[in-house]
Parts: sequence; C-alpha cells; structure tokens
Amino acid sequence: MDDFENNTTVFSALRSLNNFISLEGVSGPPTPGSSRSALQIQYQQRVQMEEQAGQIHSKSQLLQVEREKMQMELSHKRARIELEKAANTNARNYEREADRNRELLTRIKQYQERETEAENKLKEQMEMNKSYKKSMETMSKKLQEKESKLAEANETITVLKGKISELQWSKMNQEMQMTSQDSQKQELMEQLDVQHKKWQEACQQIQMLQANQSHLAEYEQKIKDLEQKLSQQEHDALIVKNMKTELARLPKMERELRQLKEENAYFREMKENNGLLKEEVEGLQRKLERYEKVQAQLAAVELENEVSSWECLVGEQGRGFLCCLTPDDLSRQIVALQQRELVLKEQNSTITSSARILEKARVQLQEDIIRIQSQLLEEKKKREQHEALVRRLQKRVLLLTKERDGMRAILESYDSELTPSEHSPQLNRRMREAEDMVQKLHAHNTELEVIKKHHALNPGVKCLRPVRLDCLMSVINFPFFSRQKIEELEAERSKLEEQNRSLEMKLEKLTVQGDYDPSKTKVLHFSMNPASLAMQQRKEEHQQLQEAYERLKETVRVLEGGGSIPENLEGLGSLQSSQEIAELKKQVESAELKNQRLKEVFQTKIQEFRKVCYTLTGYQIDITTENQYRLTSIYAEHQGDCLLFKASSSSSRKMQLLENEFSRTIRELIELHLLRQDSIPAFLSALTLDLFSRQTIA
Amino acid sequence: MAKQVGREQQGITLRGSAEIVAEFFSYGINSILYQRGIYPPETFTRVQKYGLTLLITTDPELKNYLNNVVEQMKEWLYKCIVQRLVVVISSIENNEVLERWQFDIECDKTAKDENEPREKSQKVIQDEIRSVIRQITATVTFLPLLETACAFDLLIYTDKDLAVPEKWEESGPQFIANSEEVRLRSFTTTIHKVNSTVAYKIPSH
Repeated sequence: MDDFENNTTVFSALRSLNNFISLEGVSGPPTPGSSRSALQIQYQQRVQMEEQAGQIHSKSQLLQVEREKMQMELSHKRARIELEKAANTNARNYEREADRNRELLTRIKQYQERETEAENKLKEQMEMNKSYKKSMETMSKKLQEKESKLAEANETITVLKGKISELQWSKMNQEMQMTSQDSQKQELMEQLDVQHKKWQEACQQIQMLQANQSHLAEYEQKIKDLEQKLSQQEHDALIVKNMKTELARLPKMERELRQLKEENAYFREMKENNGLLKEEVEGLQRKLERYEKVQAQLAAVELENEVSSWECLVGEQGRGFLCCLTPDDLSRQIVALQQRELVLKEQNSTITSSARILEKARVQLQEDIIRIQSQLLEEKKKREQHEALVRRLQKRVLLLTKERDGMRAILESYDSELTPSEHSPQLNRRMREAEDMVQKLHAHNTELEVIKKHHALNPGVKCLRPVRLDCLMSVINFPFFSRQKIEELEAERSKLEEQNRSLEMKLEKLTVQGDYDPSKTKVLHFSMNPASLAMQQRKEEHQQLQEAYERLKETVRVLEGGGSIPENLEGLGSLQSSQEIAELKKQVESAELKNQRLKEVFQTKIQEFRKVCYTLTGYQIDITTENQYRLTSIYAEHQGDCLLFKASSSSSRKMQLLENEFSRTIRELIELHLLRQDSIPAFLSALTLDLFSRQTIA
Repeated sequence: MAKQVGREQQGITLRGSAEIVAEFFSYGINSILYQRGIYPPETFTRVQKYGLTLLITTDPELKNYLNNVVEQMKEWLYKCIVQRLVVVISSIENNEVLERWQFDIECDKTAKDENEPREKSQKVIQDEIRSVIRQITATVTFLPLLETACAFDLLIYTDKDLAVPEKWEESGPQFIANSEEVRLRSFTTTIHKVNSTVAYKIPSH
C-alpha cells in the first residue's frame, strides 16, 4: 500500500509538476528561456530525484520484499523445521506405535497361544478328571468291598477277641493255679532246704564228733608219751644238775690248768735260765778270780806308777820348791796348796759379793739416769711450751699493737670524717686526755674506796661524787663513743660473716641436693615419662583389682546367703569351677525349659484329645482313682449321672461296671448289652441314643 | 661439614661438644637403669663405647623416650641454656623419691661466638667419661638396695625464659626428704663441664 501511496504521491507530485510546468508554459513565453531551462533543469532534477526516489522506493520495496521474503523464508524454514521435527516426532511416535503394535500383536499371539494351550490343558484335565472319576468310582467300589470285608474282619475280630478273652480268663486261672502251685512248691523247697541244712548240720556234727574222738585218742597217746617224756626228763634233769655242777667246775679247772701250764713253762724256762746263769756264774767267778789277781797286779803296778809320777812331779816341782822329795813334804805341800785354795776361794767369794754390790749400784745409777733423762725431756717440753706461749704472746702482742694501730687509724679516720681540720694532734691530745682521765679515774676510784671505807665508818660527805662522775663520764664517752660503735660494728661484721658462711654451706648442700633459683631456672620433664606411666598402670591395676575384689565380695555374700549367683557375676568367672557351675546351670535351665514346654504341650494335647473324645463319643472319661474310670454322658439329664468302670487289673482290658444310682435306672440296657452281648461300646452307644432320644423328646 | 669436627682429632666445636655430652648422658642413663635394676637385666644388650662394655636397653618404648630427651638435650646444649640433668628414681607404690643422679652442666658461652675449635684431645675426654661411668658402676657398692619396684624420670633444669616445647611440661624438683650426697668425678670438653652427684635416701634403719 505504501508503494501505492508513494506512487500516488509520486504521481501527484508529477501532476503538480506538470501542472506547474503547464502553468509555467501558459504564463510563459515572456519569461526567459533560462528560467525555463532552469525549470527544466529543476524539473529534470526533480524528475531525476523522483526517479531516484522511485528507485529508492523500489529498492526499499525490493528490500522490504526481500526482507519479507527472507522472513517468509525463515518462517518457512522454521515452519519446515518444525514440521520436520513434528514429522520426526510423528515418525517416531508412529514407529513407537508401530513397535507397540507389534508388541501387542506378539502379546496377543502369545496369549492366543497360551489360550490354546490352556484350552488343551483344560481338555486334558477334563479328560483326566473323567479318568479320575472313573478311577474314583472303581476305588469307591473297592472301598465298599473293603469295608464290607473290614466289617467281616471286625466281626471275626470281635469273635476272636471273645475267644481271646476266654482264653485269657482260662490263662489267668491257670496262672493262678500255677502261682499257687509255685508257692506250694517254694514252700516245699524251703522245707526241703531246711531239712537239707539240718541234715548237713547233722553230718557236720557227726564229722566233728568223729574228728574229736580221733583227736581225743591222739591226745591220750600224746599224754602218755608226754608222761614218759616227763619222767625221762626228770631223770635227765637230775643228771643235768649233776653235770651242771661238774660243768661249773670245768672253767675253773681249765683256768687252773692254764695257769699251771704257764707256770710250768715259766719254771722250765727259769730252770733253763738258772742252768745258764749258773754256768755263767761259774764262768764269771773264774773270771773274777782271774781279774782279782790281775787287779792286785794292777794295783801294785799303779802304785809303782804313781810313785814314779809323784817322783817326776816332785822332781819337776823340786826346782821351784826346796828339796821336797819325801811324801810327807808332798803331803805338806798338798795341805799348803789346799789352804791356798781355801784362801783363794774366800777371796773369790768376797770378790763375787763385791761384784754383785757393784752391779746393784750400777743398776740403780742407770735408773737414776733414766729418771733424770725423763725429767730432762719434760723440762725441755715445758721449755718448748713456754717458748711457744712466748711466741703466741708475742704474736698477740703484735696483733694487739696492730689492732691498736688500726684502731688509732680508724679513730683518726673517723675524726678526719667528723672534723676536717687537724686530726692527729687532736687525737693525740684526746688520747692523752683519755689516758689522763683513766689515771684520774683510777685515783678517784681508790679515793672513793677510801672514802667509802671512811663513810662505812662515818657516813658524811656525799655530794662530790656524782658531779665529778658525770663530768668525767661525759668527757670519757666522746672519744669512746666511736670505739664502742666500732666494736659493735666489728661484732656485727663477724656475725654476718658467720651467717654468710653458714648460708653458703647450706646453699651448696641444697644445690647438691638439687635446689634451684626459681627466678632463673625452671625444671622440665617429658610428659610421657616412665614414672608417670608406671603410676598410671599401677592405678589402673589397682582399680581393676578393687572392682574384682568387690565383685568377689558380692558373690561371697550371695553364696553365704544361699542364693543363686546373679547372671552378671557369671560373666567374670575366671575360675574353672565357676565356669562349670555356669554351664551346668545353663544346662539345668534348658532342661527345665524343655520340661515345661513338654508339659505344656502334653497338657494341651491331652486336653484336645479329651475334648475330641467327648465330642465324638459323647462321654467324658475321668480317672477317679487307680483303675477306676467315671464316664459322664453329654446328654446326661442330671449333673451327677455317671457310670463307674473298674479295670480288673492294669494289664487286662476287661472292665467292670460298678453299681451306682444311675446304673440302677438303666438296668435293662445293662442286661441287654453287657450281660448278654458282653459289649461295652454297644452299651455306651445304646445309652447315648437313649439319653439323646429322651433329651430331644423332653 | 666444617662444623662437625667433634669427631676429628683436631678440636672441639660447640656442636661437637654438645654431641659428646648428649652421648654421655644416653649411655650414662642406660648404665644407671641397668645398675639399679629399674628394668630387668635381660632387656639390656652389650655395646662397646669409651673402651668399656656398656649395657643399653632394647625396650622400644624406653629407647624412644630416651632418644627424644637426648635429642632435645643436644639442642639445648648447643644453645647453652641447660643447667642440669637429673635422673629421679622413685618407688611406684608411694611415689617416694629414693635416688637422684644429678649432672650439673657449666657451659662456656663464649664458645658460641668463636670460630676456631678448642684444643682438647678426643682420647682425653673419652678417658674422663670412662672414669665417670666406672664410678657410676662402682656406686652400687654403697648405695642402699632398691627393695620396691621403681620407675625413673628425667628432669632438665633450663633457663626460665625458654619456650617449653611440645610434649614437655614443667615439674617440681623432686627432692629427697632425708638424703646423703656423694660427689662423683667430672669431665669437661673445654666448652661444657659436667659434674656428677648422686643423692640417696638415708635408709630408715
């Protein structure tokens, strides 16, 4: 439309232009051709422009068309794409549908197949059913036949049972007879045994008697023998006594014999010796005679020799002595010699005594010497001690002088501190003054003492003393003030030194013991050190032991009380016995549980059975006492209507009905079923029918 | 390595001295544990050291503990901030201290700034250490018997301003109440001097 509008505008513009040109043409010729040409130029320009505009418009139209076309194409494409997508999806859906169709078809086929199979199976089963039915019929027929046979068999069984019961009865009778006969037999046997024993005893007694008789005979013989022996023995005893006395003499005889033998031997020896000795004696006597002769000769010879020797001696001594050849002279010389000897001995004795005295004196002198030497040593020691004392005193004097010098120096220094002017002359002056003061004090002291003595005698003058003392003291105190302070300070210093030494010793001891200065050092150790680990282990052990101990205490208490060990203590049991006990207890418990379960099961089963019996047979059977059974009917009219049956013995099946009130009411039934037909089940069933009929009627 | 000249014959450096002293402590503590029967003798094995046959433990926990302490000591010896090492032997039952083996360490701090190693023969130091260890063995003769089961602890006295490393904590000095002290020999590497003392509780009877 726009194009058309544009075209119309263009056309309108052209028309206007043409109009203008016509107008212009109309108005025209006077205007110059230039304006026309200008107009033509303008017109041409405008036409060109319009053409351009038309071109542009057409281009724009073209562009628009092309754009539209593009858009259309795009939209077409999009539509195509979408359509393609849709087509794809449709195709896919179609495919899916096709697949599904196929699947469904296959499933249908399967189901159809299954259907056919099921139908076949059905048919087969129908056939089988038919066959089973046929078989069932045959089986039922067989059953019936069998039941009939069973009934026959039951009848035969009952007949046989009757026979059996008769036989049993007869058997019982026979057994009773047997037992009685057995008992008789046993009695007879016992009697036999007794008799037999008696016979045996009698035999034994007879044997014993015989043996005794034989023994008696033997003994009588023995007695005789013994009597004979006795007599012989008495004879022998007499002989023996005689022999004994003789025998007692035997050893003595033997001893005497021995002694005699010895003496004999000894005497023989002696005799021999005597003989020998005699011979010797004779020989010796002869020798003696000879020797006496020889001796006499010898004596003479010796005398001659002595004389010759004496003569020689005399001859020798004769040179010294004056002619002494005669023996008297010799004897006199001998006497003289002896006297000289005596004299010499006396001199000897005197000399020895003097020697002893001298020795004693010497010993005493030696002792004196020793004493003196010891005294000397003591004196030396004393002297040395004195010398040492002297030296010490000298040293002390030196020290004191040094101290004094030192004190003087200190004093001078103090004085120098106190007064910076001249010191030493002042000090010296003070020293002198002090010394003068001391002297004066001493003099004053003596005067005072005198005065005191005088005062003691006559109390009078007093006033002088205190004033002088005061002034003296004040004068004295000043120079001595510093000295006291010095002494105090010295004392303090020494004390401090001692304290220092003792503290140093203590400190050393403590450092050796391990002390430290907390401000400068600290002590570290590893956290996981063996001592702490050991302590922890010990604590844990301790705790464990305590726990075990407490548990054991509890078990002991429980055991003493007689109760069972609670289960939490069983878990501890490390001892074997407790383990065994636990196991045994577990076993016991399990056994008890089993028992209980069995009991429960039995009870339930019994109850069930009884209920079933009651419902099926119509009678509740109770055991009242041993072998007695009470039957109560389900249709009983009264509560107490019951039948009592007794089993004759535990092994036999024979039951006897006991008479009671209810049984009297049903005597007819009893007669019919029990006495004639002898069948308890028939009786019971007849009774139930009767009661049932009565109930329904009533 | 220029600094590890402690093993050479030429001289002793600070690090070498620290190693020597730490090694001495390791063997010394093992000897004490064996001699005093703190651990059963079958847990000890023989080695040769300082010309002696020494016994060291084979228990892995104990070895680990001793190694930790000795390594720490080596560091502190190198920094010269440790003053004392004490082996405290106490009874497990009542935690009472029965014996105290005290090793005082004097460190020459000027060695930190020196570059030249100090002149002392390795052999002389070994001889001194040997005499100390022999003395430790000989003390068994007069030390009272340890009747009860005992455990030991190692205390280290250091400077107050030291940062406490991990796994270490401060502790008391653990004195013995009534004790007798005996001074043993000392040895010196010219940089560290170790004085040994043993203090034991005077037996009550």
